Amino acid sequence: MKRASIVIAGTVAGLVAVLEFHTTPAKVTLAGGSTLPAANKPAAATGQGSAGTGGTRSATGQQVNYSWGVLSVKVTVSGRRLTKVGLGYLNDGGNPRSQFIDRQSIPLLEQQAMQAQSANIQGVSGASYTSAGFAQSLQSALHSLGM
Amino acid sequence: MTQPVVRELVHVMGTVITIDVFPIEVTERPDFTAARNVLERANEAFSTWRPDSPVSRMRRGEITAADAPPEVSAVVAACTIARELSGGWFDPWAMPGGFDPTGYVKGWAAQHALAELAGLPIAGALVNAAGDIASLGTQPSGAPFRIGIADPADPRRLAEIVELTACIATSGAYERGSHLIDPRSGKPAARVASASVVGPDLGLADALATAVAVAGADGLAFIEPIADYEALVIGHDGRRQSTSHFPIASQPGPGW
Repeated sequence: MKRASIVIAGTVAGLVAVLEFHTTPAKVTLAGGSTLPAANKPAAATGQGSAGTGGTRSATGQQVNYSWGVLSVKVTVSGRRLTKVGLGYLNDGGNPRSQFIDRQSIPLLEQQAMQAQSANIQGVSGASYTSAGFAQSLQSALHSLGM
Repeated sequence: MTQPVVRELVHVMGTVITIDVFPIEVTERPDFTAARNVLERANEAFSTWRPDSPVSRMRRGEITAADAPPEVSAVVAACTIARELSGGWFDPWAMPGGFDPTGYVKGWAAQHALAELAGLPIAGALVNAAGDIASLGTQPSGAPFRIGIADPADPRRLAEIVELTACIATSGAYERGSHLIDPRSGKPAARVASASVVGPDLGLADALATAVAVAGADGLAFIEPIADYEALVIGHDGRRQSTSHFPIASQPGPGW
């Protein structure tokens, strides 16, 4: 495989840095059987630095497809520390089943991202299916903040 | 404090499997092709919804395990062993709709994908199949991988943290797509809120976690004599019980 540029970013799985290499976006098969590109804009993370507030900055990660739709993760950091994790965007198609799952799993992932930072863990057993897409968007948000 | 990890996502078996590789030295992206191929082949062979998959043909009685591709025969044999080890609490032959090895296959496929990474110049690797995790090696620092177990009463929190030497699987009725069926009644049942099993092989750990989640704390009795496997159950009342050597690293602190 040809050498690709390396980007370092933080990740949901604790204090690790994820090396992102340029790859073609994977296809995701949705529950209904249709396919969408895995990442609408692979480098679409947007940072909103606010230097005047003691190093508190926030950014929204790239929009990624997950099993039930599209989401992006928004993070707020203070210095090098993650202080808030939430959703920047969510479109689960309005399906009651996916909305039910989202209401359960997304707060879980937000909380786990915060925990992973302080617990120094590399994964969660018994965690939900949404987690990989969530982690991917989280990484890009942190990356855009230089973390 | 930060350490590098290279991540690959594979969409198979109705979920996303995450492959994390912890390189000794960062040079170029490792080749994940072989690991991906293992997962995609398993997805084809073991699909219960693709009518032409070997497993679907077995379910309809068109072929036997002996006629199936070698990996399907191997899984059938492993399921037989898992059924015996679990005293019948894991029984793919007792699922509604016929033989369904899903409870074994996801872990089995993750374990085989991990094996494809063994030749890389890495400190360690993790294959995480929706919370069932196979590992190889250690963190680059030499420290063991640390994995949180989601608290079934409040999955936003961690119930425990384990230091992993190989694999961990967790089953509970709170998971999406969890169909914990009591093989004795053919009906959904989970006598504890969650069951986690650690051990050298993720396929077997996955099957045993399913068995213990259905059997409840009494299931610890059939795990105890299995060499190198340990189990932890969290009851519907939050009570924890485990086999003698379940590798809890530390109690999560207040606020967890």
